[in-house]
Amino acid sequence: MKKKVLTKEDILHLAKLSNLKLSDEEIEKYLKQLEETVEYVKNLDELKTDKVSPTSQTTNLTDVYFADGETNERGLKLKEKYFIVKRIM
Amino acid sequence: MNLHGKSLLELKQLVIEKKISEKELNQYFLKRIRKFNPKLNAFITVLENNQLGIPYGAKDMFCTKGIRTTAASKVLDNFVPPYESTVTKKLQEAGMSVLGKTNMDAWAHGASTETSDYGVSKNPWDNKRYPGGSSGGSAAAISAYLVPAAIGTDTGGSIRHPSAWCGVIGLKPTYGRVSRYGVIAMGSSWDCPGPMTLNVEDNAYLLKQIAGKDKYDATSSSIAVQDYTNEIKKNKKFKIGIAESYFAGIDDQIKKHVYKSIDVLKKLGHAVKPIKLLPPKYSISVYTILQRAEVSSNLGRYDGIRYGNDRNFFGQEAKRRIMLGTYTLSYGYYDAFYKNAQKVRSIIIENFKSVFKDVDLIVGPNTPVTALNIGEFEKYPFYGELMDQLNEPASTAGIPDLSIPVGLDSNNLPIGFQIMGNYFEEANILNLAYQFEKETDFFGVIKKGINNYKD
Repeated sequence: MKKKVLTKEDILHLAKLSNLKLSDEEIEKYLKQLEETVEYVKNLDELKTDKVSPTSQTTNLTDVYFADGETNERGLKLKEKYFIVKRIM
Repeated sequence: MNLHGKSLLELKQLVIEKKISEKELNQYFLKRIRKFNPKLNAFITVLENNQLGIPYGAKDMFCTKGIRTTAASKVLDNFVPPYESTVTKKLQEAGMSVLGKTNMDAWAHGASTETSDYGVSKNPWDNKRYPGGSSGGSAAAISAYLVPAAIGTDTGGSIRHPSAWCGVIGLKPTYGRVSRYGVIAMGSSWDCPGPMTLNVEDNAYLLKQIAGKDKYDATSSSIAVQDYTNEIKKNKKFKIGIAESYFAGIDDQIKKHVYKSIDVLKKLGHAVKPIKLLPPKYSISVYTILQRAEVSSNLGRYDGIRYGNDRNFFGQEAKRRIMLGTYTLSYGYYDAFYKNAQKVRSIIIENFKSVFKDVDLIVGPNTPVTALNIGEFEKYPFYGELMDQLNEPASTAGIPDLSIPVGLDSNNLPIGFQIMGNYFEEANILNLAYQFEKETDFFGVIKKGINNYKD
């Protein structure tokens, strides 16, 4: 028999990590659907990747900062080291 | 004055020449929205009192100050953003105004708009069919001329796919060409806002307005923005590549129209040659893993404490994506899934880079089939992900990609054709599309679409 990729316990654990409340029906459904998806993406194993570096940013930007003297006009207004917000109480 | 079918730039000119007031213009489109939107459900929110600016539709993914922004999810049912996205701000500064927030798949998860918590949009060509997605409301709205242009977002095909199914022009720019600031985040390393229009010149014009470095989006690029409306009119000849791997499993009628369009390009003097691209199935897997991971992280912020409703309001598709993303990022699976997918992303990027040493542009079909009937998505594995298969490679690499209509199938449904270009070479893509438009007028598809919805 084919080894199961995911178990019901896995789904419950993922739901807990994701802070989602799932119905029994959803648990069954996601178990099946996630398994299908995980099976599909295994096609990546057909490619050799051991000598390839990962990409996290497609246009090769690194270390992006605000230019000197530029200010963040869209943030909350500051007075000395405090934020100025509307009165709450 | 008869305004029906006039392009965005034509309308702008009429306003400049004072032949029509902005108020009349807005009232004209509001009247059309009132008449046709109940049937098409292209808008989630309509700005009934809008009187100023050249009207356009913005996908409900763009934060608009003081205007409810839902991402088509009940989680954000009552969310009124306190700030404006860079794209809508730039368009405001260019004299345009949001006439309505268009419908979409909830959180932009999907290729149909059926995951919208505000009901599915209808394809203007056949109201029993999907408009495609996720920017389906935007595509339907311009195809039926409820607004002269719209803005969408594209993560794995969400501009190009509905553009193909509704028979309009949609551009996914290079990743980082257009700022993501104020766009509700889906897959942050993929999301690209872009224009959807009724002709190429309008598309070039809108791209020029919204493109450029934004200090509020660190991933936006400082590469200079070109004057696209001038660039498209230059006489250019291109080397164009065609990848056989993009034709596997594609509907015969679509193939026929795509080959016919390639003949048009040859006739225009462009050199066409075969190229080798990795099969799209690898991009589907990379996209599925990385995008779900980013979704699980981006949707983590919605707890209903600071704004919006709590996590019980998430729909099925969002929950499924959060679960899968959480799985691929979790301890023990990270290397096997997430990191491996990032590596294959490098391989796909290298594949495109080496092909672009040889050719200027790549063309091919945009979608494997034309618009499906509402309800049909359930039959397809992967919840519609395969509908985006031809769009996902360009998204994976971050290169620009345009969808144009090239004909109708036997059911009178539009057929899409895509033009991919090298990084930041939107000008070349739009130039080729403009040449194609001058030669064929898209075989009358766009005009026919508009004329299906007379005043």
